[in-house]
Parts: sequence; structure tokens; C-alpha cells
Amino acid sequence: MKRYLEVENLSFSYAQRKILDKLTFGVDQGELVGAIGPNGAGKSTLLYLLAGLITPEGGEIVLGGERAKHLSRRRWSKKVAMVFQEIPPDLEIPSRELIAMGRFPHLGRWQREGEIDEEKITWAMEVTSTSSFSDRMFSELSGGEKQRVMIARALAQEPELLLLDEPTSHLDILHQLEIMEILLQLRREGVAIVAVFHDLNLVSQFCDKTLLLKEGKLLSFGKVEEVMKAEEVEKLLQVEFLETIHPFSLRPFFMPLQKINNNPSRGRVHLICGGGSGSRFMKELLEAGFSLSLGVVNQLDSDEELARKLGIPLVQEKPFSLFSSSVVEEAYQLAKKADFIVVVPTYWGRGNLPNLDLAERLVKEGKIVLILEEVLNPRFDYTEGKAQEKLKKIIEEGGKVVKDLSTYLSASS
Amino acid sequence: MNTKSRGGLTYLRLLVLVLASIFLAQGWGGGRYNISHSLSLFFLSPLSPSERIILFEIRLPRIILSFLVGGSLSLGGGVLQGIFQNPLVDPYVLGISSGASLGAVFAILSGVYLGYFTVPLFAFGGALLSAFLVFYLGKIGKRFPLEILLLAGVGVGFFFSALVSLGMFLAGEDLHQLVFWTMGGFWNSSWQKVKMILPFLLIGVPILLSFFRELNAFLLGEKVAESMGVEVEKVKKWLLFLVSLLIASAVAVSGVIGFVGLVVPHLVRLLGTRDHRYLLPFSFLLGGGVLLWADTLARTILSPVELPVGIITNLLGAPFFIYLLRARKKNL
Repeated sequence: MKRYLEVENLSFSYAQRKILDKLTFGVDQGELVGAIGPNGAGKSTLLYLLAGLITPEGGEIVLGGERAKHLSRRRWSKKVAMVFQEIPPDLEIPSRELIAMGRFPHLGRWQREGEIDEEKITWAMEVTSTSSFSDRMFSELSGGEKQRVMIARALAQEPELLLLDEPTSHLDILHQLEIMEILLQLRREGVAIVAVFHDLNLVSQFCDKTLLLKEGKLLSFGKVEEVMKAEEVEKLLQVEFLETIHPFSLRPFFMPLQKINNNPSRGRVHLICGGGSGSRFMKELLEAGFSLSLGVVNQLDSDEELARKLGIPLVQEKPFSLFSSSVVEEAYQLAKKADFIVVVPTYWGRGNLPNLDLAERLVKEGKIVLILEEVLNPRFDYTEGKAQEKLKKIIEEGGKVVKDLSTYLSASS
Repeated sequence: MNTKSRGGLTYLRLLVLVLASIFLAQGWGGGRYNISHSLSLFFLSPLSPSERIILFEIRLPRIILSFLVGGSLSLGGGVLQGIFQNPLVDPYVLGISSGASLGAVFAILSGVYLGYFTVPLFAFGGALLSAFLVFYLGKIGKRFPLEILLLAGVGVGFFFSALVSLGMFLAGEDLHQLVFWTMGGFWNSSWQKVKMILPFLLIGVPILLSFFRELNAFLLGEKVAESMGVEVEKVKKWLLFLVSLLIASAVAVSGVIGFVGLVVPHLVRLLGTRDHRYLLPFSFLLGGGVLLWADTLARTILSPVELPVGIITNLLGAPFFIYLLRARKKNL
């Protein structure tokens, strides 16, 4: 598709403060660009500049080959329409009339609305599925319906570039997806779209490109798959994320990690876990003020990924491999430093059975080894009873079976 | 679609009401209704020369003038409420009433005489002076922020009102003339006064009506309007200028008549019209009709004594308006 929007070295200052600093990027026809950034990064300011509502301090905006600073207000509004973050107060106006207001730049002062105007209004209402309530008052509509009417109003301008400032922020998930569907439809019709979002995943799922904006500077700009990496997004938003792949869209999907009280004061726990069983306990123990260590776990195991993310010291083995004796020895050295060893429910196979030998060795040396009651359930055992035997042995040597980890730990300290 | 045909119907109804009002008001005088006076609009023949003077040189210009003034005030009020997005705004918000009063007070007290139009001319000058002073004070850079403009209007209004009060305090035997002028009325109506304000109406009214799309866009907020192609600051400047001219000319020939300009646009809204394409012309027609009837009451109810029309508009209009408001229980 052809390049529509060209932004070069665009800068803006307000009250001697630099809001935007030399942004350069381009948007093609039929391209959906999602802008992300923390509050105050200058996202709304960027949209205002592109809509011609404020004058840049420096730089250039080119719209469809025309330098924007030479455009009259009316011409600019024929090319660019904007959907604002705030939905106007309750207006006693039928939705259709409100949408029809978008024809403003196409109508002369003494000109009446004609057939073309009717057509464009009908098109705008069809794209946004607002035809069914065209006669209802705007004030009577739900939040999602109001937002769609506002988008239809912008579309009535027949924009070549559509700007949207957090169009989904007041909406529930169903209505968020409705809005995204509308944007995808417009994208297919060749409209260039730049939209600000708070939700990373809406951008990663639906947008072609993303624009990461931080403190007025362009952190990066490009295809979603290339730009949206966990480290990049973390740098942008100052929050840690777990990045996975959305199983259906195959786009990156980000899960924020909770900020955890990180002043361990109640001792150290070594977890024996795997296959995702440990995550619940990691959270619980960290929040309770323990420090953690982990192992042995296989690489690519979800427990391993989470622990690495959280900076928990761990001992790892290659994916899907039997734990080698050298690795188990390494885990022993790590676990020795802990005050408690905790065995949590996980499936036992040939590969991870050495973890139970590790626990046995430690309990024999007098370490406190806790086994969650559920671990003893034979359904976890895929070693024809070997795991069960080893667990029994550990209990004989002094391992404690506990029903609930947190009650035990709070009682013990 | 259906709103358009409904709009057309209301247009027709209002026009018929206005014409009927002129017809009926022509027959009212000296506390009585006389159908032959109304009919004289169509059949001149049976009138005596003195009757002809009363009906066509005194009563008819007065009816027309009250209609035009009422229409101007209501249209001006409707436009200003649309610009300011504030239901409490009336046409005098730019200090025009106190400016006009000050001009009139000056003309009466100074004894300057420039012919029949002395007082209206000074009132007109005073009104424009205050409006431009408010623009000047309310301007920041190239923009007219609405709150600043409103506050500037209040400030200038108070200052000029103080000068008017000072003038009244020092007026001596001219006091009653001043008081009458500030109450507003159509005692000295004539075709000359109609001719004086007609040019302002002929230019101002159609242009103001043509701004309906801009005013509709303002309903969505100034930023949205701007993004839709409305040159907000330029439009505001033009509208304020035209409204000032229109209101200044109305005040110059009638004095300060309150309530009509504030309330009539709300009446039109309460009756279900919010689209400025209709709201503005309906306000003009309804406002004209309302003031025409108020003045007819003012000159007949205590005949031969005439009441200042402002008393009638406030006395009857306020309770009716509050009744409508309560009955609809809707936001303005």
C-alpha cells in the first residue's frame, strides 16, 4: 500500500517543557498503528498535532503528499478525523443527526445536504453498526454505542487518516473487541489509522505496527512482532511482563507480573517443583517474606521461566532430559543454604525422580523437609510406585507432611 | 428525515402564529379589542384620518418593533448560549445592557441633542463600546477563552452599572426619564425606529442563522468542532461581533428588556428542538411573538396607564418558564 502519513522530526513544547522530541515515522494506507506509552508520554499530543489542532514547534507532517502546514482547517478535516478520549456530555440529539455533523468540512455555508452526504452517512453507520439506533437520543445510548456513534461521526468526514485517542478505555471486553473489529474493517478499506491504547495486548493482537513513546521520544516503531518484545515493553512501562505467544493469533501476548514485596526477612525456602506447579507457591512465599531458590527444573518449564523472570536462583537441566548427577549436585549446594525444603505437587517421571533423592539426602542431614499432603496422591506418580516409595522414605527420615503451607510456616516463625 | 418534516411543520405553525398575533394585536387598544382595527390591515377604507394615524403610525410600528426586538434578543441569546455552552448566558452577558444604559444616561443628562435619534444613538454607541471593551479584556493572544470572556463581561457590566447609578443619583428631575429608559419599553415607537434597526437585522439575522452547523458542532466541544473543520476562534469572533451589533441595535430602540433573550431559546429546547438549524429561527419567531404579546398586554392591561414591558415579561414569563421546567424535568 502507498505511504499516506509522513512525520519528520516532529517536535512540540508546552510552557518550556519538551512534550515531543523529533519524532520520525510513516504510516501507509490501510495500516493500523497502535501507540503505547506511559501516562504523559505525549501520545495525545501526537494525535492533536496530526489532527492539526496544535501547531508543531518544529518538523513536518505530510498527508498524502501534501505538506500539512499549508492546509486550511477545512481541507485538513477532509483528510484527517479524530475520535477523542472524552465522550461528550449527554446530548439530546438523535444519533443520526450527531453522525451527520461529521459532514461539516464537505458542506458550504449556504449548501444543503445532498445525496452524496446521505450515502456517506449511511456508510459510516453501516461500518459502525449504528443504523439500528439512528433515531435514538445520544444520551440514551450505552457507553459502547456512544463510542461507535463518535467513530461514525468521524467517518462521516470521509477521512483518509483516522486518529483515535484511547477508544476502548471506558469499555468492557466485548465492546473493546467490537471497536477493534471496526478498525480492522476500515483498515481493509484503505484508511490509515493511528490509535492510542492502554492495553498492550489489543495492540499486539490487532495492530500492524506499534509506536512506543516514552517521555516524548520515539522508543521504537515498527511491526508488532519485531518491536513488541518483553524487554522493550518493560523499558517503556516500567513493569515486568511475562511474554508468551497467543495460541490463536500467534501474536505476542503480555502478562504483567505483580509487584512483589521484596524484602525477604523470614528465611529461605528451596522449592522442588516443575510443570507450572511451583508458580502458586512462589507468589505465596515471596509475599509472605521468604526468599527462594529452585531446582532442579528443566529449561522451558513454565516454573523455570517464571523463576528466571522473578530473579530466583535456580538450577536447570536441558529440556526434557533426565537430571544428571552434576546438576543434582549443584542443586544440593543451592538447597543447603535454605532453611526449609518444600516439595510441591508435581508429576513424577524418570526424569525428575532425582529431585526426590535430593530431598532424601537433605532430610538425612537434618534439614527441614516439608511435603505437601497432595504430593502423596498416587495419581502424580508415573514411575510405577518408585516415587511413592521415595516419599515414604523421606517421611520416615523426618520429612513433615503438611496440609497447607502458609499455616505451617506462619505457625513455625 | 422525519425531524426535517417536523421542523418544516413547526416553521409553518410559528409563522401563522406570528401573523395571527400581528392581526390580533392591531385590534387591541385602550383596554378593548376591536375587530375592525384588526381588519383595517386589509381594508383601509372605513377609517377616519385620526384612526389611521393611531393604527398605522403608532400601533403598527410598535407591534413590528416589539416583534423585531424580541426576535433579535432571543436569537442573540440562542447564539450566545450555543457559543458559551452555558444555559445561563443571556444576550447582555457582554455588558451590552449596562453599556447602552450608560450611553442613554449620558445623552439624557448631558443635554446633547442630535435630533430624534439622540438617545438611541448614544445607547447604541455605549452598547458597542462595552462589547468591544469586553472583547479586548477577554482576549488572550489570538484566542477568546470563554470563561475569561464571561468574567470580563461581568466586570465591565458592574463598572458601567455603577456609572449608571451615579448618573441616576445625580440626575435630579431627569431621574424618571432615566428609570423609564432602563426598564425598557416601546412608548416612542415609530417607523423611523424600525428603519433604524432594520439594516442590522437584514444583515445580521441571515448570517447568524447560517452558522447553525458551527453551533451544532460546538455541542460536541470546541476541540471536536475544530477537528471537524470549524475554525473555532474565527467563528466565535464573527458570531460575537454580529450578536453585539444586533443586540446593541435592539437595546438602542427599546431599552433593557430582560428575560426574553434568556428564556425563549430554552422554551424552544424544552419543546424538543436542539438542532440549531431550527433552534435559531424558531427562537427568533417565538421571541418576537412573545415580546409582541407582552407589549400588547403592557399597553392595554391598565389602560390608559402603560406598564414598562419588562415588568410583564418577568412577571408572567418567569412562572410559566418554571412551570415548564418542572413539568419536563429535563436538563436544559
